[in-house]
This record gives sequence, structure tokens and C-alpha cells, in this order.
Amino acid sequence: MNHPLIPDWEIRITNFGLGYILMCLVVAIGATNTGNNGLYVVLAGMLAAMVVSGVLSRRNVRGVSCAIEPIGEVVATRPAALKITLENHLRATTAQALFFLHEGLPGPLWIEPLKPGEKRQVVVEGVFARRGVVRRPDAGLLSRFPIGLFRKYRRASLGGEILVYPLPEPTPMPEIPPEDARGGRPHPRRRGGGFDIRTLRDFVPGDDPRDLHWKQSARMRRWIVRERDAERDRVVVFVIDNGLSDPADPASLEAFERAISRCAAQAILLLSRGGEAGFHARGVKVPASSGRGQRARILDALARLEPVALQGAPPFPPLRRGDLRRVVT
Amino acid sequence: MSAGRPAPAEVPSGLRAAYVLALALPAVAAPLPLFWTDGASPFALALYVAAVALLWWRARRGDPVRVSDGFLNVVGLSYFLFLAFEIARLHHGLLRSVSHLLLFTAIAKLASLKRPGEARTALLVLFLLTLASASSSTHVASLLYFGAMALMGFRALCRLAVLADFEEAPPEHILRSVPTGGLALTAVAVAALLTVPLFYALPRLRSPFALGPARLEESLSTALTADRVDLETFGAAKRSDRVILSIDVDTPRILGSVLRLRESVFTVYRSGVWTRAPYAKSDLRRPVAPGERLVPAWAPPPRRGAVGRVSIDLNLFTNGFLFLPYGASGLRMERGFPHGYPDGVVQVGGMRRSIRYGATVGSGTPRGFGTSAIDPALVPSEVRDYALRLTGDLSEPAEIYRRIEEHLNAHFVYTLDPPPASGDPVVHFLLRSKAGHCEYFASAAALMLTARGVPARLVTGSYGGETGFLSRSIVVRGDNLHAWVEADLDGTGFTVLDPTPAAGLPAATRRVSWLTRLTSLGREIEFFYDRRILGFDSLDQAAVFDAARQTMDSAAGAVSSWKQAWKDVPSAAGGWALAAAAAAVFLFFGADRWRRRQRLSAPTRAYLALRRLASRRLGDLPASVPPAEVARRISQTLPTGSEDAEAIVRIYCADAFGGVSPGSLQVRELRERLQRLRRAV
Repeated sequence: MNHPLIPDWEIRITNFGLGYILMCLVVAIGATNTGNNGLYVVLAGMLAAMVVSGVLSRRNVRGVSCAIEPIGEVVATRPAALKITLENHLRATTAQALFFLHEGLPGPLWIEPLKPGEKRQVVVEGVFARRGVVRRPDAGLLSRFPIGLFRKYRRASLGGEILVYPLPEPTPMPEIPPEDARGGRPHPRRRGGGFDIRTLRDFVPGDDPRDLHWKQSARMRRWIVRERDAERDRVVVFVIDNGLSDPADPASLEAFERAISRCAAQAILLLSRGGEAGFHARGVKVPASSGRGQRARILDALARLEPVALQGAPPFPPLRRGDLRRVVT
Repeated sequence: MSAGRPAPAEVPSGLRAAYVLALALPAVAAPLPLFWTDGASPFALALYVAAVALLWWRARRGDPVRVSDGFLNVVGLSYFLFLAFEIARLHHGLLRSVSHLLLFTAIAKLASLKRPGEARTALLVLFLLTLASASSSTHVASLLYFGAMALMGFRALCRLAVLADFEEAPPEHILRSVPTGGLALTAVAVAALLTVPLFYALPRLRSPFALGPARLEESLSTALTADRVDLETFGAAKRSDRVILSIDVDTPRILGSVLRLRESVFTVYRSGVWTRAPYAKSDLRRPVAPGERLVPAWAPPPRRGAVGRVSIDLNLFTNGFLFLPYGASGLRMERGFPHGYPDGVVQVGGMRRSIRYGATVGSGTPRGFGTSAIDPALVPSEVRDYALRLTGDLSEPAEIYRRIEEHLNAHFVYTLDPPPASGDPVVHFLLRSKAGHCEYFASAAALMLTARGVPARLVTGSYGGETGFLSRSIVVRGDNLHAWVEADLDGTGFTVLDPTPAAGLPAATRRVSWLTRLTSLGREIEFFYDRRILGFDSLDQAAVFDAARQTMDSAAGAVSSWKQAWKDVPSAAGGWALAAAAAAVFLFFGADRWRRRQRLSAPTRAYLALRRLASRRLGDLPASVPPAEVARRISQTLPTGSEDAEAIVRIYCADAFGGVSPGSLQVRELRERLQRLRRAV
């Protein structure tokens, strides 16, 4: 089991701290037994240093806020840009000896001393090990300041949540059979980037100039464009069975995660070709659609998908007629 | 290959250099007190410092020394052979042998860092060196050492704490950035402030291990040997500026009575050496009971209202004789059992070098104690002849003394460097040199009075002092040592007579220049260190707690008296006082709020005022309402103020979010627009 980088306890004593306390005891015994006031001065100084260290350490870490915000999409096991916002709320003290910890970083990240009231933004590349929703990041600040008796932690805050998309696993896309082969419902003709001309219409800003129908435009004395059909005319609904007989079984979980990765790859491929895709799982339904918005919706659903016990699992959402159901395993 | 925990990775070269750089400075400073405590041989210390300097230099170059394990083993084994030789043959003593071993180990550790854990071991060895230095040093310079080590130790520990999270060598600027200088100084200062009460509160179960060295010149030591004093060394002692004692009085009214402190009485003179008359044990009045008066029974009691309490911190407490003012009573010692002699001298058992005691003092005429006087048979014949020649025509003791005093003042010179005497110093003083210090004058007067049949004796002690630099105490130094005469002139007891010319009398109370005070500061710190730090023990601790308790009691008493006073004041006066206090609080917080408002920029202040106006007009305005919305809402309800509100918001946004500060014209415009809006609202 992996230990979290930022423990729930805000403060942990270090090995050096334990040694320091032990040395205090040794010096105390020596001073008491000998009556040597030189040792008493050293002992009093050591105890005072502990108090000062505790106060400074507390101020140093508590005075600094740390917020994480992803820049762009976050994909599991791939470097993702994270914006870390650090602010020293102390009016008179420089926050120093701070390290930023994150599971995606190869090691602690040194933060240059923050002057009183200073706000600083740092962009780092972090790697999230697995897909999912991160609401409480295992990231934050660590400091042994001032003299290393204690490690003090402060968990970073999140503005919202970080969605870690699954890493698409490239798989060959099975050919989508034509609609006639299934005898499904006729698909409404849609605008798209296919070869067949759907209709002619007036030009509106944003239309591709290559679609201008020159002859008709000359004839009508206004700009006329060709509107084409979508390249694909079948709606594909990707399905993952998230009902597992034993949700704790590592092998089953690994297969489940691979299915999610494959599903992500196929959905992205289809949508990138202008196709229309949806996603179903037990208790999860992403209605079919196309475009970048749909890509985000499907990846969002895949990121949030959790395995459930097969017994008592909710059923799959019903499929619309004519939609092609593709179960990804 | 054995299974188990994998060995920790070796420290990279850069990180090793950083460890050495962080530890080098405390490594050099740690054994410094061993120089002056003779806790290590100077050669070993010089070798150690040179080795640390070499390690530091190589680390600075980025090429830290890395001694191989084989070489280290050979050197370590060789050192054990040397250690055996040192113990068996050189007889350096345990402290030196241990110090040398620690010095060697510290160098070995710093030169062979392989794993991060070894940096901690090196730190531990340095700490042990610090302990050895701190525990063996009894010099006041230890205070400087403690402060310097605290600062250097803090910096080193801060840097090691940062290094603990680096696997590779961090850039140099990272190490330099921690800790900031101001924070390090503040932290050490606060820690020092905390150290003081902790030091005094930590329980003491044994008497102090080491006391301050008797920092006395031989002459001063001899002069303060209260059962024997010779004329030659007394002058040398008077040249010393060592702090002998400090006096605190609770009321200035008794200041005049505590300027002359009596230490010892001498009645036996032989060839320039005064000794005390032997007393039988039965003569000792032991112990002096608390409250017992140390004045003769016939002496009048101190007048009421002219009585005060004197506390004396006697630092050079070599022979247990106390410096006490005339007419002292109610002697209270912090430790030990005082024994009173018939001549009023008080001695305390024990060999402590410093002691604190107190007594009650009146402002009466000073009178000597007891009846012991110089045996006339011990007066040298030359002195007897001299006395007869000088005062043979007189019979009244008072007149005899007056003649002697006038003669000494008129024909003798006061000097701390009398010409060397051949034979009896007093005879030499009277007949040939005609120059001497106070003890010569007092000895000559006492012997001449005795020769003329007047009971007399020599008294040593101190006269005068100077106001301390750090406190209002009167500090008595070596140059305040003094000798005078006690003589029974009229059969009513011993009167204090001082034949020394005015030029030779120490100043009663002198206010010294700031420069002199600064130069004397070191002595006072030394006195404080010896007395309050090095010699601090359980009795001192009890006294500290007792003083704290008394302070608390008096504070509680003050509070209750204030309560009573509050009850007694008329209600109207109480009301006025309450109102004044409320006004003061109001002014304080009002000023604070005004100051905070002044810190805001003019557009922000105007925008906040606009929000307040909007709240007054529209009701509660949540903080989430953005500036443009505030302007829009005002425009809706107050169309005439629309333009002003929008202008204020525009300038505010430009200032707060665009970084465009308004000019003076815009600030005036803001003010005018806000006034128009206020009128409209």
C-alpha cells in the first residue's frame, strides 16, 4: 500500500527530532547529576530552541496557502501541466525552506523563499498514476524549517476537482457496418464533412470557402454553399460493463481499466472523424452526439466510471433503435 | 549476498560538499573554549582547525575530501594506539584525552561522509564537542561562545534540514537563502530570552560543578585575607579595578551609612604585617541569630524612619569575612552560618567565592565593637619615640589624635607607590619615606595612639563606590579598599578615625563617565556571570522563586488596593474615569481603522464608499456583487447618479485590475463625484 505524500497529520517528528529530544534527556541527566551550570545553559538553550522551532515552523507553513489548478486536460500517466499558486499571508516574515510535494513529481520541488505578502504562480508537470476524480489532492507543502525537528505539511487546496482522463489505448477500430445491414431506423441526415451533398444554402460566416458552389452563386447572384452529409451515418454507443463479480479482484480491475482505455481510444477516434458516439455503462448514460463537447463528456464519464458489484448492479440504459451498440472489453 | 534492507545510496559529491559547507563553521567554533580552559592541547586544536579549513576549502572548490574506508580504518586504529600512549605516558587527563578523541572523530566524519546519516553523526560529534567546551569553560567569554554557537548552530541546522530533502546537490543559492539573516537573529534572540527563565527554573539537585576562578591578583587576594594583611600588598590591591562587591539599598536615606564597610579588625602588628588577635572558640558568638544587632549593646538603636535594608553581593569571598556597614543588624544570609567575633567581625563558614547577604542599617554614628585593642608592647620603639616627640605635651586622647592627624596630613604624602622600605615599614614611613597609602597612615596613627596609651586598632574594609552601569547598585572595586583606625578616645567605645589625607580617600560615590562605564561593563558582566550563572544553585533558585512569589504577592496586593481605591472614589469620578478609558479605547481603534483605510488607494476607498452608498439605498449588497453590477444597480435606482457611479467604478477597475494609478486630477474628480452621489442619495 502506498503511503500518501501528505499525511492527515499536519506535523510529524523527524528522526533528527527524536535524536534531539534524546540528546535533551542526556544533557538533562548530565546537568542534574553534575550540577554543571554550563550544561544547564546548553539544556535551557536546547529546550528554548524547540519552542522557537515549533512556533516558527507553524507560522512558516500555515502562513502560506497553496492551490492547484490543472491547465488543460489531465490524462493518466501522461505529464499534465499544473498551475500552483502560492501566497505568503504573513505580513512580516519570509516563508522559507518550503518544498512542494506531488505524486506526479519525481521528487520534492524547492520553492524559493516567499517574501511577506508575495503571491507566486509556478507551473509544473505532474503525472497522475490513474484515471479518476481527484477531489483531495495528495499534494501540498512540506517544510522542515527551521532546524528539522519536525516535518510540517499543508495540503494543497483545489478550486474544483481534477478529472484525470484514462490514457487511450490504441486499438484497431472495428468497421462500422452500414445502416442497411442492421435495418435500423433511418438516420437523420446531418451536416458533416462527407462527400455526399446534402443541400445547397446561402453562405453564412464560418462556412468553408471551399464549399462555395460557384455556378449556383453566379446564377443566384449571391453566395451559395454546398452542405455535405456527415461522413458516418451510424450512431455508435460504446458500452463498458462495469459490473464485476468481484470488484476487489486485481485481475478484473485491470481488465476493467484496459476496457476503459480502449473505449476512450475508440470514442476519440470516432469523434475525431466527425462521427456520432455515445457511452453507456451500468447506471451511466452519455447520449450520443458529436464534436469536442461530446469527446469531453465521454472522457468525463470514463474518468468517473467506477466498478460496481454485479449482484444488484443497475441495468444498462436502453438503446435507441438504430444505434450501434459496441461493447468494449 | 545477504538479503535484508538495501544499503542507503551514497551521498553524491555535490551534496557531500554542501554538508561540509553547512557544518564547517560550527565545527571550527565548537572547540574554541578548549583553548582557554586548557581542555585540549593547542597543537591538537591548531591541527583540528587546519583540517577543517582544508575540508572547507576543498568543499568550496566542489571537490570535497572523501577518505576511503581502508585509510580511515588504518588511521582510526592508529589513533587508538596514540590514545593508549596518551593515557599511559602523557597523562593529559581525562578531559584532554576525550577532547582529542572528539576532535579526531569530527574530522574523520567530515572527511568521510558517505551516507546522509553520517552527516548526522558528524553533527552529533560536534555537539559533544560543544558540550565538552561548554561544561569545562568557566570564563565569562563562554557567554559569547553560547551566543555565537546558537547563531551558527541555527544556520547549520536550517541548512541541513533543507539538504535532507535533496537527493542531489542543490544550487548554492538555495543553501544561502536559508535562513534569512533577520529571522536567524530574531530566532536566536527569542530563544535566548526563553533560555533565561528556563535556566533559572530547571531543578538544581547538586551544588555547582564549577565555580568562577578566583580572578584575583595575588595582592588583592592577600589584601582580602582578613586574618592577615601586610602594608606592601595592600597598596597593590588598591590599584586593582576588580569588582569586589555590589551594594543595593532600599532607601537613599541610609546611603551615607553604607559607604564605609568594615571587614576586619587587627590588633597584632609585627614588622609590617597585621594579624588578628587569636580568639578562643568560646569567644565566638555562634551563630548570629537573625535579627541580632551587630552593634554594641550601649549603642543607641537606629532612629525610627532612618532605617533601611542593605543587600550586598560579595564576589571575592575568599576567607568568609563579611563587609558590613557600621551599626548593621538583622543579618540575613542566603546560605551558611555566620559567626560573630567579639570585635564585631562576622565570618561565614564555607569556601564559596561569592555570597549574598543583607542587613538592616540605621543612620547613627558609627561605633566599633568590643574591647580588643593593640597591645602597647607590640608598638615598635621608634614609633613610640616618634609619638612621644609629637604628642608628649598632650594628655587628652582626642587632642593626641588631632595632633597626629594634623601631623600626618601636613607632613606626609599619600601615594600608592611608597618607596621600598628596609626594616619595619611603619618606622620607615614615619622616619624616612613620609609617603604611603591609607594603611600606612592608619597603621602609624593606631600604633602612635597605642604608644600614648589610647586603646586603638586597625580596621580594613572599603570606602565609597561607584554607580553601576547596568543597575543602580553601588559597585565597590579594589581601589575602594581602605584602612582606618578605631580608638576609644573618651571611654565610651571605639570611634571611627580616618587619618588618611583627603587626597587618599576613595571617592564616596562617584559618577563615572560613559566611557569609563562602558569599559567597566565587562567587569560587571564577569561579576554577573560568576555570581548568577556559574555559581547559581538550589538556594539561589529558592531565592528567585521566593522573590517571584513576593512580586506576585505585591502585585496581588496592588490590585486589591486598586479595587479598594476604586470603591472609595466617588461615583462621578468613577464615571469620568470610565468615560476617559472608553474614549481612549475608541481613539485607539479609530486611529487603527483610519490607518488601515489610509493604506488603501484612493479609487478603492471611493469604490468602497460607493458600495456603502448602494447598500444604504438598495439594502444589503453581498460581497459577490461585482463592481459593474454595483454601478448598474445605482443607475437603475438613481439615474442622476449613473454617470458618477460608472466613472468611479471605471477608475477603480483601472486601478485595481489594470494597474493604472489615477493622477491627482482623477483623485479630485473621484472625490467630487462621490460628494455628488452622497448628496443625491
